[in-house]
Amino acid sequence: MAIIEVENLVKEFKVQKKKKGIKGSLSSLIKPERVVVRAVDNMNFSIKKGEIVGYIGPNGAGKSTTIKMMTGILYPTAGTIRIDGISPHKDRKQVVRNIGVVFGQRTQLYWDLRVGETFELLKRIYNIDNDLYEENINIMNDVLDINSIMDTPVRQLSLGQRMRGDLAAAMLHSPSILFLDEPTIGLDIQGKSAIRKFIAEINRIKGTTVILTTHDLDDVEYLCKRLMIINKGKLVEDGALQTIIDKISPHRYLIVDLTKETRELKHPLAKTVKQEGLRFWMKFNRSETSATKVISELLKNYSIKDFSIKEPEIEEVIREIYKR
Amino acid sequence: MIKGIKYHFSVAVYYIKLSVLKQLEYSLGILGTIIMIPLIYATGILLLYFMVENYQALGGWTFPQLAFLYGLGYLSHGFMMVFSVQNWWIGSYVIRGEFDRMILRPISVFFQFSVRYFNIIGLMDVVVGITIFLYACRLVEFQWTLINIMNISLIICGATLIRSATFTIFCSSAFWTKRNESIVNLLNDFMERTTLYPISIYPNFIQVILTFIIPIAFISFYPSSYLLDKNVGLQIPINMALWVLMMGLGMFFLSKAVFNLGLKKYESAGS
Repeated sequence: MAIIEVENLVKEFKVQKKKKGIKGSLSSLIKPERVVVRAVDNMNFSIKKGEIVGYIGPNGAGKSTTIKMMTGILYPTAGTIRIDGISPHKDRKQVVRNIGVVFGQRTQLYWDLRVGETFELLKRIYNIDNDLYEENINIMNDVLDINSIMDTPVRQLSLGQRMRGDLAAAMLHSPSILFLDEPTIGLDIQGKSAIRKFIAEINRIKGTTVILTTHDLDDVEYLCKRLMIINKGKLVEDGALQTIIDKISPHRYLIVDLTKETRELKHPLAKTVKQEGLRFWMKFNRSETSATKVISELLKNYSIKDFSIKEPEIEEVIREIYKR
Repeated sequence: MIKGIKYHFSVAVYYIKLSVLKQLEYSLGILGTIIMIPLIYATGILLLYFMVENYQALGGWTFPQLAFLYGLGYLSHGFMMVFSVQNWWIGSYVIRGEFDRMILRPISVFFQFSVRYFNIIGLMDVVVGITIFLYACRLVEFQWTLINIMNISLIICGATLIRSATFTIFCSSAFWTKRNESIVNLLNDFMERTTLYPISIYPNFIQVILTFIIPIAFISFYPSSYLLDKNVGLQIPINMALWVLMMGLGMFFLSKAVFNLGLKKYESAGS
């Protein structure tokens, strides 16, 4: 069952065009030139309960704008959003009770105060009863070691610790959907790994649906069975990571080491793209043939010492999509 | 109903507690302001004294009466400074996208905004206001009967509401224009000149505006005239104190409506 449904979603911003110089400033004061920018352009998707969805795209593609519309912060220009069947703009309170939101670049914790103070405020705002609160704090302690930072003023926390605090704060009221906007931004390897473990665990224990925006493709690889790629306000790819990669980049590289020098290595379906001494790089299309076939055919004519297959880099594939 | 009030009260108390704790983290910084406030307003009242002593009564008001009006007007200013100074910052809240988090919480955004700041420094304004007012009460030989105490309390409540709501209404313009510093400064000067001095010194059309359009005259001018038995030519069908409170509540609900209208225009900030 779809827990998030987005149909024909559009968001336009009116941006005032600034002209150069004093003359320009004066003329835009009298007759401001407004340009309409389409940040989100007719998006359609739905997300099932319990999914972890990676939501990626270059800076300014419209990721945050979509998240902000789904969470009720921004009003869409057109289109509908349903979170568990309810529009966040018709019944904001009902919807936000059911979601948790973390913005990696902005904390919701009181900067000068103990982490626990913000938790207590949230406990009151969400009307969380003591039993549930205890239970959730215990889970957060298992997954994020939250008790160790509970009494530290937020300004004294490291970025990784602060992010753990923010994630725990978003989970206190047991939301069924978690929106994470760049939760791993700026974190070191350990910090990133802690956040990834948290997301996987919370999804496993509580069945929380997670929508994750990130620039770190390792996050996606580790966590997400489904990837949505947005570019220039449009949803350009939506599916499993491997499917997208195969679709965009069907080529593989076969790296072959020969035992004795040969001028060229020939195969009808694989092309030599590079040669360095006894090592050859051959490119083939996975839909036409397979690595085993190419190798066995090469073995008939050449004496091969060793070989390996190179998968395309995810990063390269994504870059390819962003460029379109 | 009672459950709802209890819920909102518990949230408000905690918001206020956190804002006080937060300010106490930087207690040294506020020391300077605490010393400055009484100085500024003591000079204000001294100026009034010298003006009236050396020239003539201001718009038919003697110095004790002027001090009474000044004190009463200043008290509501003090309470506004304590409870709703965050109105002044709507512009920067909008620019920095600070309403995002409030929208994400399952309780009225206007409520969160209203209770999220309790300004300790403003308490100093209240102390100054009480001092000036009590001093003026002695000068005019004010009778501290039960009725009068009730009148004063209702008037201060209503006046604080009118004052805060006026700021909310004007500062909510920031939802459309993104900036409101200049409006805050203008409104602050305007309020000072119209609530700390009798508006009878101004031309008629200004008095009409301050009575019927922006009811600032009900913050201190009409209530003081009423309490001091001065006839200023305005007939109110019911008790003045009740009237001021009702105006305050009316302005409050109007300001809430304007704020919520603005919130729909809210565009957050880039990530």
